[in-house]
Amino acid sequence: MTATLAIFLLFAGLAVVCAVQVVVQKNAMHSVLYLAFTVLAVAGVFFCLQAEYLGAIQIIVYGGGIVVLYVFVIVIVNLREVVPEKRKFVPKLVIVLTPVLLLAEVAAIVFGRAPVPASGEANGLELGAFSEALMTTYLVPFELASILLLAVLIGAVIVARRKDLHDPR
Amino acid sequence: MFAWIPLFPLVGVLLNGIFGIRYFSKRVVHAVGVGAVGLSFAASVASFVRLLGPGPTSMVKTLGTWIPASLVRVLGGRLEAFGIDMAFRYDPLAAVMTLVVTGVGLLIHIYSIGYMENDKSQARFFAYLNFFTSAMLILVLGANLAVMFIGWEGVGLCSYLLIGFWFSRDAAANAGKKAFITNRVGDFGFLLGAGLLVSALGTLDIGRISEAVGSGLVGKGTATAAALLLFLGATGKSAQIPLYTWLPDAMEGPTPVSALIHAATMVTAGVYMVARMHILFEFSGTALTVVAWVGVLTAVYAATMALVQNDIKRVLAYSTISQIGYMFVGLGVGAFSAGIFHLVTHAFFKSLLFLAAGSVIHALSGEQDMGKMGGLKAHLPGTRLVFVVGALAIAGVPGLSGFFSKDEILGAAFASGHYAVWALGLAGAALTAFYMFRLIFLTFDGRERLDPEARHHLHESPRVMLLPLQVLAVLAAIGGTIGLPRVLGGGNWLAGFLRTSTGVAESPLSPGAELALMLLSAGVGIAGIWGAYVVYVKKEGLPARKLAERFRAAYGLLTHKYYVDELYNKVVVGGTLALGRLAAWFDARVIDGIVNGAARLARDSSTVSIRVDEDVIDGAVNGVGRAHRVLSGGLRKLQTGYVYNYALAIVIGLVVLMALVATVF
Amino acid sequence: MIPVNLVLGLGFVLFLIGLVGVLIRKNMVIMLMSLELLLNGVNVIFAGLGRHLNSPRGSIFALFVIVVAVSEAAVGFALILSYFRQKNTYDTDDLNELKG
Repeated sequence: MTATLAIFLLFAGLAVVCAVQVVVQKNAMHSVLYLAFTVLAVAGVFFCLQAEYLGAIQIIVYGGGIVVLYVFVIVIVNLREVVPEKRKFVPKLVIVLTPVLLLAEVAAIVFGRAPVPASGEANGLELGAFSEALMTTYLVPFELASILLLAVLIGAVIVARRKDLHDPR
Repeated sequence: MFAWIPLFPLVGVLLNGIFGIRYFSKRVVHAVGVGAVGLSFAASVASFVRLLGPGPTSMVKTLGTWIPASLVRVLGGRLEAFGIDMAFRYDPLAAVMTLVVTGVGLLIHIYSIGYMENDKSQARFFAYLNFFTSAMLILVLGANLAVMFIGWEGVGLCSYLLIGFWFSRDAAANAGKKAFITNRVGDFGFLLGAGLLVSALGTLDIGRISEAVGSGLVGKGTATAAALLLFLGATGKSAQIPLYTWLPDAMEGPTPVSALIHAATMVTAGVYMVARMHILFEFSGTALTVVAWVGVLTAVYAATMALVQNDIKRVLAYSTISQIGYMFVGLGVGAFSAGIFHLVTHAFFKSLLFLAAGSVIHALSGEQDMGKMGGLKAHLPGTRLVFVVGALAIAGVPGLSGFFSKDEILGAAFASGHYAVWALGLAGAALTAFYMFRLIFLTFDGRERLDPEARHHLHESPRVMLLPLQVLAVLAAIGGTIGLPRVLGGGNWLAGFLRTSTGVAESPLSPGAELALMLLSAGVGIAGIWGAYVVYVKKEGLPARKLAERFRAAYGLLTHKYYVDELYNKVVVGGTLALGRLAAWFDARVIDGIVNGAARLARDSSTVSIRVDEDVIDGAVNGVGRAHRVLSGGLRKLQTGYVYNYALAIVIGLVVLMALVATVF
Repeated sequence: MIPVNLVLGLGFVLFLIGLVGVLIRKNMVIMLMSLELLLNGVNVIFAGLGRHLNSPRGSIFALFVIVVAVSEAAVGFALILSYFRQKNTYDTDDLNELKG
């Protein structure tokens, strides 16, 4: 058991525990805090997997952006009321077991087959290779992503500022 | 060079669509819209001239790779490199089509300036028209079925947008929807056909498909299936039996749209596609026979409905369906160049007729009912003149364009031994002459039956509308010279020009027989005109009313368009709704958690519903439809509306899908 | 060296937790958070496979997933705000206009 593996296991365990907490916490504010921990733990996983750029982006965008956004929203709309968690028609057990069944099937398919041999380009994980691929092969999706973000920016502003949908303001 | 042709209208769309609505004055909108098509026409002419010169008769321009090539295993176990290029092909067939689309399109754009002068959203109108032109050109120039499909869908979309251009009117919005959904059925056939070709041959490139079919890489059954599926797409776009019902309703759109899309260009896309894929159809043989029969049945069937319509544009719509039927007859009997020849002449005379009808409607402030016209020859002499030219051309009076193209088709049908097809076609020709001159006499002759309000505003159309009409009238008159038959000393330039694209069909008939056939079809056309004259001018429509009285059942059948709309409504729409409700009920059962049982139940119930559907089609339309509605009323309540139930349903679907994948791997 | 199956397993588990969260919670904000978890699981799988194949593509796809996740969060919040203004609640039970 190498040091990397140990660190990976540490982060992985942290991520899973915190993720479960996100889902089960009654108070939304607590959920957000656990989400922040999960996100940072996943960033740690990325570092262990030599995806340093991804880890950095994860911390900046998720930790710095999205989580803060969640906090703001919860503060703005004062989300203290606890929504009753009772379901109509379907028992909770079914709701939990269906995704478990799905994942069991996926795992059976993935792990049941012969593993893909580890190979590929040399030095494929270096930042240089990553940037070059992003700016050449994947240039069009990259630009499209920026258009998507622009559209989201405008769309979110328009949807959020209307008092109600029939109000032209 | 030719790759520029579809680009100009696209620029027009961007300019008018993005800036035109807010910032351009009317003049600028017109200049951009017309200029874009004008440039495109200039590029078409230049490419055409170049094609006439020495050099290759077929050029392919690849703009880029769409799907990179990779090896796929096709039916029969061969490996093929399958990929799709964004590629355009320019050959004589494409040249003829681009000239028609941009040429007629240009005239119609100019006409629209006058016709739409009082409309508020002209920028939107011209942007749509340009968009249509561009999509149509992509369809025509596409070197493989995938690129063709982009254009195919594009013209369908534009058709929807333009039929529903005045979307605040319910009828227009519904007509647009109907056109779109009906076309969707056909497009599905097109997609399936293309998919079958991929799995059988591993390519969508039209040249490679033709080569592969020619070298016997595909079985006859597969070829027939693929050809028939593609032809289903053609019947949707070209409004043939059984998917023709959308075209008459499409007349809710502005008249220039009817002329451009629903007469001259888009509806001929099916004809073009079959001509493009002619090697596949010829190889199948069966498919070609189906094409000929569908064509001739549509031709006669639509002509009978045109006899009794009172809406001036609807008469022309049925006439269009009927004339496209003739084109398919030409293709079906193996005379591909004759079908294309009729496509060209039809583009001239039918857009002329539509635009002239538009001029009448414009003059009468929007009146389309022929019962409220009559006696207009004194007021609209310019319009009447071109209208008569167009009607003479479509009626098949010797010397005008329609005569030569229709005669070439009928001659080819006779020569290839399809005597029944030929006889039906001849009967259809007589009907055509009759209903066209019924239209003319009801509109321009006889008593005036105008509304006082419309009478007050009556005016001849402005120059900008009359000029395109006059150009089209000249083309409709002399357009036949491009395919003048050999017996008359012409040499049929068009057939020779298209030789490399569509092959040659040598006529086995002796010159004498050909002349006799020609005289016969001319006689039939003139008889039809004379009949219309006797009935509607000499006796002022009395015999028609008497006949309608005597054969009331038959007359009712015709005026109600054989009740096909009602049948489709009950069977297809009702059946779909019933199936939908059944599915909703099924959904709720799944949510109750009985996944496996419900799945089995659904399978059984859908077999039952298929059987029920078949019974419905077999005739018990009313009862079963109503029973469905009553039964499903209660079940509908199980559709809960809760978001998480739908989410859970999605996940359950995934579970089932993954189980399937797990069993396959 | 980290075995690739371990990374895939972690991804699956995160995805599972996210999916369960989306299905089981009725508070819309927490449903959105669960979606983030779900996407994070996918990203872990991408990064793991990218490392396994020694290729930059894993990271690139994960980057695009992050972009989409950000967009989804932003639009999701806008919708929640707009929904809250209309109904004054976050309970998805009140969101049943689709009822047949």
